Amino acid sequence: MNGSGKIELPGGKEEVFKSLLEPELLQECMMGCKKLVLIEENKYNADLSVGIAAVKGKYEAVITVEDVVYPDHYKIIVEGEGKPGFVNAEGLIDLTSLDNGNTMLEYTYTAEVGGKVASIGQRMLSGVAKLIINDFFKKTKKELQKRPKSA
Amino acid sequence: MSGKHIGKALKRVEDPRLTSGEGTFIDDLSPVGNIHYAAVVRSPYAHAKINAVHTEKAENMKGVKGVITGVDIAELTRPFPVGVSEPVEYYPLAVEKVRFVGEPVAVIVAENRYVAEDAAEEVVVDYEPLPAVVDIEEALTHEAPVLHENIGTNIANQRFFDYGDTERAFEEADTVIRHKFKFPKYSATPVETYGVIADYQESDGKYTVWSNFHGPFTLQSVMAAALKVSSNQLRLIVPKDVGGSYGIKSGIFPYIVLMSIAARKTGVPVKWIEDRQEHLLASSSGTDRVTWIEAAVKNDGTVTGLRMKMVDNVGGYIRAPEPACLYRTHSNSTGAYRIPNLQMETIAVMTNKCPTGLIRGYGGQQLYFPLERIMQMIAHKLELDPAEVIQKNLIKTDEFPYKTPSGGIYDSGNYEKALETALTTAGYEDFRIKQREALARGKYIGIGLACIVEPSGSNMGYVTIALTPEERAKSLPKSGCAEGATVSIDPMGGIKVRISTVPTGQGHETVSSQIVAEVLGVEPEAVSVIAEMDTATSPWSVASGSYSSRFGPIGSNAVYQAAHKVRTKLLKVAEHQLGVPLQHLDIKNGKVIVKGQEERQLSLKRLIGTAHWNPQALPDGMEPGIHESAFYTVSTAAAPSEDDTVNGSVTHGFVADAVTVEVDIETGDVKILDYITVHDAGRLLNPLIVDGQIMGGLAHGLGGALYEELTYDAKGQMTSGSFMDYLCPTSTEMPPVTIKHQETLSPVTPLGAKGLGEGNTMSAPVVIANAVSDALRPLGISIDSLPISPSKLWKSILESELKDVEYKEEIRR
Repeated sequence: MNGSGKIELPGGKEEVFKSLLEPELLQECMMGCKKLVLIEENKYNADLSVGIAAVKGKYEAVITVEDVVYPDHYKIIVEGEGKPGFVNAEGLIDLTSLDNGNTMLEYTYTAEVGGKVASIGQRMLSGVAKLIINDFFKKTKKELQKRPKSA
Repeated sequence: MSGKHIGKALKRVEDPRLTSGEGTFIDDLSPVGNIHYAAVVRSPYAHAKINAVHTEKAENMKGVKGVITGVDIAELTRPFPVGVSEPVEYYPLAVEKVRFVGEPVAVIVAENRYVAEDAAEEVVVDYEPLPAVVDIEEALTHEAPVLHENIGTNIANQRFFDYGDTERAFEEADTVIRHKFKFPKYSATPVETYGVIADYQESDGKYTVWSNFHGPFTLQSVMAAALKVSSNQLRLIVPKDVGGSYGIKSGIFPYIVLMSIAARKTGVPVKWIEDRQEHLLASSSGTDRVTWIEAAVKNDGTVTGLRMKMVDNVGGYIRAPEPACLYRTHSNSTGAYRIPNLQMETIAVMTNKCPTGLIRGYGGQQLYFPLERIMQMIAHKLELDPAEVIQKNLIKTDEFPYKTPSGGIYDSGNYEKALETALTTAGYEDFRIKQREALARGKYIGIGLACIVEPSGSNMGYVTIALTPEERAKSLPKSGCAEGATVSIDPMGGIKVRISTVPTGQGHETVSSQIVAEVLGVEPEAVSVIAEMDTATSPWSVASGSYSSRFGPIGSNAVYQAAHKVRTKLLKVAEHQLGVPLQHLDIKNGKVIVKGQEERQLSLKRLIGTAHWNPQALPDGMEPGIHESAFYTVSTAAAPSEDDTVNGSVTHGFVADAVTVEVDIETGDVKILDYITVHDAGRLLNPLIVDGQIMGGLAHGLGGALYEELTYDAKGQMTSGSFMDYLCPTSTEMPPVTIKHQETLSPVTPLGAKGLGEGNTMSAPVVIANAVSDALRPLGISIDSLPISPSKLWKSILESELKDVEYKEEIRR
């Protein structure tokens, strides 16, 4: 399963880049995220609670950020495991400055699932993935809009 | 024989209790005290190394009695024996490695299921994922990941067979027609899932297990071997009611062993009832198969030789009774046709899918899909009518008993007449006219035919054809199809029948009562049939159980023979008391009468009473009481010969199907207009039950044709784990069905009966594929994989739109 998309976020590249890796913002904006802590640089532990079709469950996830080219690009890897199975996803994020001072974020992702999520949730999966990702960026945008403009 | 009761459409004696909620199923049982409940932790990976299983947290939860892991299994069991020479190690729970999604990795035993399920969530397994393979052809390549390192290949079994002079047949053929066909992995989905209650008695090391296992009881020895006990230390008990199986519940045997170990380790009786998701994911299924088939054909449509390479996907582990799916139809590989030359290569390959086992039709649907498709393709290639090609090759009535090149003995039949009935009933000729008219209006209708031989009553010996003659020679030959039954009469005249056929809904109690009533000259209501199976007390043998449609040809005859022993004993008592030789006596309406002098009679009650209450009045040397067991087998079920021929089944019925469909080319939807099925299963013991069996078998076959498939993604994740993804036909999907019968008696069974109930499971997938291919012939569409889902068909229709235009032009000319 894979997909891609883009969204305009308020603020400059540097600001957006930093915000996107703040544990507080991530926890706030990630659907079903109960807890998210930074355990070392560019590595987080998260408790996620996500329902896909009839499969509701908790996942303990490790989120790693790699290939960082500040403030243009990074890769985010999510490895979640729980009773309903596992979810492994990888996203590539690219930021570019827009003339209006805002930032364009472009992303592509691939994801695979296993266990019960796959066996009874497969039909819903790509829809759910889109939903979760769109929701994340929408919330992020709102969150960034709330922040006082720097510069 | 048929008579007053045998052959009558007696209503099923099982139904009053089943329809009033008084059935006794496995989950209704609480046979021992202090029962605890199990939940199974399963692998989310298709292929992975297990680095560690952390159970501490689960073990310390309140109400948890214990956790069983691969370490316990490796210590307390040995791998299940399996009938191939490759040393595949299959345990009921993963040891060190998982090889399919859903494979058990731990079992929690707790005071109730809720606690067990909660604790299962706390088990943490450290997996190291490995590359997976699910596709048959890919698994055969050298590049494919190997599942079992000790074997070094994914091939679990491979054999070559050559009967007749196939090379010559192909050299001399006018045309050779070849094609590759793919048959899908599909399941049986009984309403009741697997259920096990296991108890271990430490003082004498004995296991007692209640379950809805229905045989074959060859597997009892497989389970005892895995548990490392002698066979009488594993007592298996099956309740009288099993909520359907269609073969799949024979695959419960690993769980019987698993729960036995769980009971042993935790010291409490353990109950486990499988849930539906577990059932679809990890119980068992039929094999998916790829067949490469080639037919040597003369210009008049005569098929002179066949070559087939068939590869069965047996999943992560080959387990008993596999690779039997490859060989169950070995002796009827040439189907209903007189094809003297046959070459076959048979391969069982292991991939990261759920292991397989018995499913209604077992091997038949996989065989007939390529065989009956190629018959139609031959007709199309030679521009003959498919009916004509079938007629040309069908075995003629005067050729019975017919011996097939691979050793099958078709005991009796009248195939030509059955096909004729099917064609007439379907209005074949008229349909062809209608079809042309419909096409002119842009409607695509078609008619498909299938003529199949329905083997029943498996010969235990056929499974050993998986081994080479040299390998077979190293152990005792296997043959026969032994089944037992006991008929007894208590001191007050109550007649009881104990059977070991373990019915799962086929009405064995009813038919047994009809048979015994017939033989003993009483009414069926006077006969009480006990269908509970107990390996400690039932009259059973290696082949006992319910599979391969064996009640008709075998189980019923064990009952018949036991009833005859009782009859003979009663007649001997009467002979002694009346002073009239036995051959002049008969039993009628509860009395022994002197033939021709019916006023001279003795009531059965009195004769029975003598045997119990007054043994002194019995003939000299006769034992008191009335309790007779009989064991029955058929002599034609011989061990395989050195030339690799074998008669795999004792009786061979016949099914001729004619099916009409309409395909909506806008949506790819297939509508079955009419399903005509003509059966010849010898003497019908109870026509009511017969028709019920046929409808059930047909529904299952319809699923295989249009709906059912256990799908996996390329990484081995199963993607059809609920009834929203795994479609089963329901009553609304059933087409109009016309059933017709002819009764060509079997000369090898005393009652002349053959098995039935699997026939349409074997024929429906291909006959529907033939009908759809016939309807879409103008578009050049030929079905070579199943199920025929609307999306798949719609894609083919889109791709072929161009051809359509040209063909219509041609038809008009």
